[in-house]
Formats: sequence, C-alpha cells, structure tokens
Amino acid sequence: MKRSPLAVDQAFADMVEAAQASIVRIDGGGRGVGTGIIWRSDAAHSQVVTNAHVVAGITHHNGTGLCIVTADNRRFAAQRLASDSQLDLALLGLAVGGLPTARIGDSASLRVGELVFAVGNPWGQAGVVTAGVISGLGCMAVRRKGGTAPYIRSDVLLAPGNSGGPLLNAAGAVIGVNAMIFGGDLSVAIPSHVVAEWIADGDWR
Amino acid sequence: MDISMLSAFSNQMADAVERVAKSLVMVNGRARQPATGIAYADDIVLTADHVLERENNLTVQTHDDRVLGAQIIGRDASTDLAVLRVQGLGVPLATAAAGARAGQLALAVGRPSPDGVMASLGVVSKVGSSLRIGRSSAILERYIQTDAIPYPGFSGGALVDVTGAVFGLLTTGLVRGAAMVIPMDIALKVASALTKQGYVKRGYLGIVSQQVRLPPAQRSDAQEYGLLIVRVEENSPAERGGLLIGDILLAVEGQPINDADDLMAVLHGDRVGKPVAVRVSRGGIAQTLTVVVGQKS
Repeated sequence: MKRSPLAVDQAFADMVEAAQASIVRIDGGGRGVGTGIIWRSDAAHSQVVTNAHVVAGITHHNGTGLCIVTADNRRFAAQRLASDSQLDLALLGLAVGGLPTARIGDSASLRVGELVFAVGNPWGQAGVVTAGVISGLGCMAVRRKGGTAPYIRSDVLLAPGNSGGPLLNAAGAVIGVNAMIFGGDLSVAIPSHVVAEWIADGDWR
Repeated sequence: MDISMLSAFSNQMADAVERVAKSLVMVNGRARQPATGIAYADDIVLTADHVLERENNLTVQTHDDRVLGAQIIGRDASTDLAVLRVQGLGVPLATAAAGARAGQLALAVGRPSPDGVMASLGVVSKVGSSLRIGRSSAILERYIQTDAIPYPGFSGGALVDVTGAVFGLLTTGLVRGAAMVIPMDIALKVASALTKQGYVKRGYLGIVSQQVRLPPAQRSDAQEYGLLIVRVEENSPAERGGLLIGDILLAVEGQPINDADDLMAVLHGDRVGKPVAVRVSRGGIAQTLTVVVGQKS
C-alpha cells in the first residue's frame, strides 16, 4: 500500500470528524463550560461521562441548570447520576435515546509515544482538536479499593473547557477522559478502562 | 477512511520510543530532580554537564531497574556535556540519526524517574549554526532546536527521529529553559576529547577587541571589517607574539577576520600549541606576526 503524507493527513481529519459526533458540550446556566462523552445510549436514555469538577458547581447551585449540547447543536437537560471527586469523574443521565456513542478503546495496554488527540471546548470554543503523544503512564493514590489508579500523561495542549473530553487514540477510540487535575504543563487523563470499571462497579449508586 | 495507516504511524512512534528507551538511563547527580543520560559506547554514558551538581556518589538507573555507580571521565561546562563511566552497564547502545532537517518529526525522550521513560512529540524547529554559548564565548558549530516539550529531567536525554535514531542530546542548560539539542556527531566529538584528556581544547590569544570598519584601501570583497585590539592580556599568547593595543587584526592563517565569531572559528582546538600567522594593520601598514595559540582554561 502506498502511504503518501497526504493520505495520513486525510486519515487524521476523517478520524477526528468521525469522533466529533459523540462529543458534547456541558453547559451550566452561565457557569463554566466543559466537555463530555456520550458513553451509552439506548432507545430512551443516554449517559454522558465528564469530569466531576466540571459539573460540581452547576448542580449544586441549581439542580435544573445542567445542560448538554450535542455536536449537531441539540440541547438536552441532564441530571447528575454520580460523581467521584478523586477520579474526577461524573456520570450524567439524559432522558433521550438514540444518540451516537463514542467508541471506547483499550487503555490497559498503552505505550509511551503513541499518537493521541484531544477534542474539547477550550475557552468555550466548540470542537477544538489538539494532537500529541502519550508522554508517560503513572499511578496516583486514591482512597478506593487498591489505593491507586492509573493515569495517562500526554503532551496534547489542554485548556479549561477541555475537561471531561476524550483522549483519542490513532483509531479514533476513547482511551481516556482528560482531567488536567495536576495542573502544570502535563495533561492528565483517566484511562477509559478505569472509567468503565467505575461505571460497572456501580459503587456510585 | 483509512484508520490503519494512522495506527501504523502511531505504532511506529511508540516503537521509536521503545527502541531508544533501553539506551537511556536515569542519572542521579543532584539533590532533587534526576536527569537522563545516553549510553553510546560500552560502559559509557553521555549526559548534560549541568545536571551533575556533585562529583561523587553518582549513580545511574537502567531500563531494567539496575542501579549502578558512575564516575565522571570528563566534563565541559561550555557545551554542557559530560561523559560517565558505568561499570557493567550492559544496555543496548544508541544509534545516531542522519542529519536533521527543519520540519522533521521528532520525539524528545527522557528517563526522569524510575517509573519509566517519558516522551513528547514535536518537530525539528531549526538546524542552526554558530551558536555562541556560555561565558566562555565558545561556539557550537551546529545545533538543533525543537518544540517538543522538555519535561523536568529531560536534560541529557535524546531527541530522536521516527525510527528511534538519535538526532542529538537534549539540554535546557545551554539557553536558559529552551530545549536545545547538541547534534550527535558534535556531541561525540566533544565526548571523544573528554574521554581522551578530560577537557576540550579551545584555542585562545588573550586579547580584547572590537569590530571596526577598515579604511577603503584595506577593504576587499571578503573583508570589510577587522578587529581593533583594545587590550592585550599579560603573559598571553598575544603578548608573547608581539600584538599591541591599536593593532587591527585582519587575518589568521590567511582566513579574513571580520568579527569575533570568525576569530573563534579559526582558533579551534587543533591549533592549540601551534604557531599561526596573524596579519595585522599597524599604523596603516599591514604586517604578519607569529603567535603560538594557547589553551583556554
């Protein structure tokens, strides 16, 4: 197969375009904007994953103020089903079905140097794409079973508003949820398998 | 759409990191943040000079978690390079990449902690020439700049191409905070001098000069300026050779001297201890003196 640089470039753009559909903006009645990922959707309900810190203020101040805006600009009210401030994860419920869900990748066997992309809403701009590589894989202490949780460090450029958005691999699958919880010049993401376990465990219920 | 192509590209970069990772060691030479070193010959590690804040109790940690003692063979603050000997190192050696070109993809790779290597992606931003470095006014004849993030502890690490071959040694110690890369061929030349004699030969005359425009009669196509000697150090090679304040330096060994960089370039290490023909204009009359080049301390 011939691999021209233009073909790689095209593949890049196609992959990002395909991933955009399942990425939403989190809106909270004038409060800060973040990003979310449509994780599940059946006939009548959908679930969105985002960062706990994105929705923390919103529901606290106004239980009905939480809104998500889809890539095709539809607006839905959302409810906070669960949140975990240590993993910086929140799960939102929507009373609407049939939304395009994200493809979830395998984050248990990542390699340093792998290509990654972030899509989010930095500084309120919708659907901004940044690219980089996995810079490192680490472990942080959490007050949960096992006492630690793995995290992904990358060199993708993140800004406020990227929080809760996906870190995508070269195949366009979600391998992490961007959290930026450590600040500094390192972008940090919670691996998707940790998110899946957290949802499956249901200890948030 | 062809996602497999992107995945193949992604795998190749991860392979590049994996390949160089085994040649990178963590260098413990200062109190806080450890740095990185590149294994380039048997039992020999190249690192940045500024990360060695002590001379003794140096250790390195390998990719397979062995902690080994290291001794400094030689170090050069001007180029920010140091060579360590590590008995029983036994790791794969790094391979040098062919010359870098601006725009090429590049990965900065370091081993700043025992948790494994770290990497960041960027491009070769610039391949520059004649970078004046440090207070010694030494000249780095070629250097590479990159926009890949130099994470803390990346000094002494490698900038590699997409195959994992090493463009050069990364350091933030040459230009404060900026990620500068010393091309591997130059780094190895310095390393070879450090291994041989523990220091780098740099020629020196012992003058202070300033650039002046030559009178029309003395100008040529190759030369519009010369160096007016405003000070001659005591007991310096220049004084012994008979150079005087007020002389205008025109040429050394036939090479026209338009500015201080021209002079630095001609006073390279191979000339140390050897006589050179120094052409000056004294009172408007050109004459040639012989000066034995000294070693800059």
